Amino acid sequence: MSLLPSIKEPTPANARKAGTEETPLALRVEGLTKRFAGVTANDGVDFELEVGEIHCLFGENGAGKSTLSACIFGFCTPDAGQIVVRGQPVEMHSPRDAIKLGIGMVHQHFVLVPEFTVLENIIVGTQKSGWRLDDRAARQKLKSLCDAYGIEIDLDAYVWELAVGRQQWVEILKALYLDVQILILDEPTAVLTPDESARLFAIMRKMCANGMSIILITHKVAEVMQSNRVTVLRKGKAVATVQTKDTSPEELARLMVGREVSFSVNKSTVAPGDTVLEVSGLGARGYWNEAVLNQVSLSIARHEILGIAGVAGNGQKELFEVLSGVRWSREGTIRLNGEDVSRLTPRAMMDRGVGHIPDDRFREGLVGPFSIAENLILGWQRNAKYRSGLFLDRGKIAALSKTMMARYQIAARDDEVPVENLSGGNAQKVILAREFLHSSGLLLANQPTRGLDIGVIEYVYAQLLQKREEGFAILLASEELSDLFNLADRIAVMFKGEIVGVVDPKTATVEEVGMLMAGRRMEAGR
Amino acid sequence: MIRIERRIDANPWWTAGTLVAALAAGMLASALIVATAGADPFEAFRTLFFGAFGSQKAVMTTLIKSTPLILTGLATVIAFRAQIWSIGQEGQVFAGAMAGYLGSQILAGLPPLLFFPGVILFGVAGGLLLGGACAILKTRFGVNEIVSTVMTNYLAIYLLSYLLAGGPWAEIGDGASYQQSVPLPAAEQLPLLFGTKLHIGVLLPFVAAICCAVMLDRTALGYEIKALGTNPVALGHKGTNIARTIIAVMCISGGLAALAGVIELYGVGHRLKADNLVGLGYAGIIVGMIGGLRPLGTVLAGLLFGGLASGAVSMRVVSDIPASLVPAMQGIILLFVLCASVMARYKIVRGTAS
Ligand SMILES: Nc1ncnc2c1ncn2[C@@H]1O[C@H](COP(=O)(O)OP(=O)(O)OP(=O)(O)O)[C@@H](O)[C@H]1O
Ligand SMILES: [Mg+2]
Repeated sequence: MSLLPSIKEPTPANARKAGTEETPLALRVEGLTKRFAGVTANDGVDFELEVGEIHCLFGENGAGKSTLSACIFGFCTPDAGQIVVRGQPVEMHSPRDAIKLGIGMVHQHFVLVPEFTVLENIIVGTQKSGWRLDDRAARQKLKSLCDAYGIEIDLDAYVWELAVGRQQWVEILKALYLDVQILILDEPTAVLTPDESARLFAIMRKMCANGMSIILITHKVAEVMQSNRVTVLRKGKAVATVQTKDTSPEELARLMVGREVSFSVNKSTVAPGDTVLEVSGLGARGYWNEAVLNQVSLSIARHEILGIAGVAGNGQKELFEVLSGVRWSREGTIRLNGEDVSRLTPRAMMDRGVGHIPDDRFREGLVGPFSIAENLILGWQRNAKYRSGLFLDRGKIAALSKTMMARYQIAARDDEVPVENLSGGNAQKVILAREFLHSSGLLLANQPTRGLDIGVIEYVYAQLLQKREEGFAILLASEELSDLFNLADRIAVMFKGEIVGVVDPKTATVEEVGMLMAGRRMEAGR
Repeated sequence: MIRIERRIDANPWWTAGTLVAALAAGMLASALIVATAGADPFEAFRTLFFGAFGSQKAVMTTLIKSTPLILTGLATVIAFRAQIWSIGQEGQVFAGAMAGYLGSQILAGLPPLLFFPGVILFGVAGGLLLGGACAILKTRFGVNEIVSTVMTNYLAIYLLSYLLAGGPWAEIGDGASYQQSVPLPAAEQLPLLFGTKLHIGVLLPFVAAICCAVMLDRTALGYEIKALGTNPVALGHKGTNIARTIIAVMCISGGLAALAGVIELYGVGHRLKADNLVGLGYAGIIVGMIGGLRPLGTVLAGLLFGGLASGAVSMRVVSDIPASLVPAMQGIILLFVLCASVMARYKIVRGTAS
């Protein structure tokens, strides 16, 4: 038996013809309902996946996209409804059943073992041949898959050595290796650069041409527009399924939130005021004593948003950590309103009005088993505002969480829900609410819109701009260049721990910023 | 067909059910052991039960026996909830007793209203310092708390051994028995509750459990302890001093365990002697675990274990069943309860397989 897969180049003959009657169905979901204590996450959802299509699930945070895919992947057992795979009604009790049926899934949060190599991560647990790992056949198969799909990855690299974006490829390779026919991708591009995301789409189209079908969950409209069809979920119900070529971003947004979403941003022209944050010659070292920040200098004034562009892993995270007091710098000084704060703790920075939105929300920003209410006061639990005498003032905290849940439209049964049960976007809103509430003066926002639906992004934009108007200085890092071009007054580009250029978004082009992100310095200097 | 599936949200009834089932299964397994030892399991359990709860006297013995177990159990709860794996309760019980005894020598002659609070404070300080020392080793030098607390257990146990075997506190006289101090004078023994055999120290575990419950549930420190146990990274990033929280946790835990030692000295043993203290700390780890790391659960588990201990005494008296059955039973019950806590995360569903 040959392990080598036969891979056909995409040809018009086997490429899918949209909308034709005879297109076979890879998957059909009928009337699927899934409830969690008090929440109906999916409410009679009907959904069809044709062979060879990229089908987007699109919807607000908490609309039930992840729940639907978890049911299709056997993580959850639906309370009602039917899942039909290639014409056969099936009942799945665990992901193992799903994998047997040729269904694969790439999760938003990776499940790779960092201490294993790429190869080991892919074959462990998938071997059918007993307990001795025979990697020769697997290696061959993976090599040919990489060649066929144009995936460049070193099979013997350890996963911890790979950048987050690269880890995504391991997950995809694993799905290919398992000969998956239906692949579910839950926000796969949240950590990819625009360039990588374009490559991912090229590969997905190739996979579809070979007869695979893909369910894609994403909040990025530009990516939705590259799919074949879109199913819009709202409050657990599938409200519409449309051909992508017949629709527009505006229509999708309207279907999703049930109202018009304005994509344009109204940025007032306020003149920058006094300098709030002044950083000069900052340097920091990583775990292996490698330089992660090198001679970083920047300044932000009142009424100003400084954008940070850059491919993930070029020092942005470390910069935010140093500025929020979590990590100490080796060299350089940080001045906040003239005061030297280079050696202050996170506590002291918070007390000086510095808010920090970390990029790894569940690890750094939230305590998973704690309720929404408790997470809203994380870091401020000793503040007199939330205390009465010796005790936490539950009444006040509950009132606060009521207000915040309404203001940020945090979708949850009540404020007692542990945040680990919230949908990704809603968890992010809890952090935003907390940091907006408790900061004054300086806001450090690292990827604040990651995983948010466009309705909420609109709201976050408005909030950031309002803070700017109120006189905040804001440091905003985002992998979404559109965020930066929309909001920032200046954009600094980071590459390998250095700031390689600062541009004016009013005059610069996306291409220019892209060049800088790839490491080309600006000739004229800063 | 019946299948076992992972549960997404916890169901308190199911959790309680698994716990009861575990206790029953533990009893059943113990019965098997009794039977293999050639005794009548029915008889054994009857004696055990009557010895624990069968009479007023039995209930009192149970209360007295459970007092130190609940306290060391609470010490376990506070530490383990913060995911600090302190197993220093044993040494801290010893430290509490020693420091409490030292207190009696300094405070002797004071009126009871000052003397008893005074010696209790002495004792608590002993355990607090021992726990705090391990905390500082952990936060300053990165010494794993399991290692350091085991070491301090030896330290405390051998220090007592030294003090009592010919050391300054040994009882010296004609009929000198080794390894104990002179008895405390009657005035220095904890007073009894309204004419019963119960010393007033039996109230302390209940007060302590309520304080712990309120602290964990309602105060900023409790909030920090629980957050430290679930996501220390986020807690630290959001400005809480992790080292200080660890030190607070280990001091409180050490103090609670030490309280068990002083109460045992002034309420039960009335003289400093290792035999009275040994095992109380280790049993407390089991009690805290069986209590689900919750203060009120720990009170129940402590009463259960106190009952087993008091029943064991009567078993030794009235039947020929070895009393060492009881520690075996305690171990078996722990195993089953730990299994139950895993079971609680699953559910049994009826349905057809694909
Ligand atoms: N384990 C759970 N327990 C309770 N409620 C849950 C659980 N998982 C999800 N939910 C709830 O179900 C609803 C749907 O969540 P889901 O994760 O499917 O949303 P989503 O569409 O993927 O959102 P996002 O875009 O933010 O990722 C939410 O209201 C969420 O709070
Ligand atoms: Mg989701």
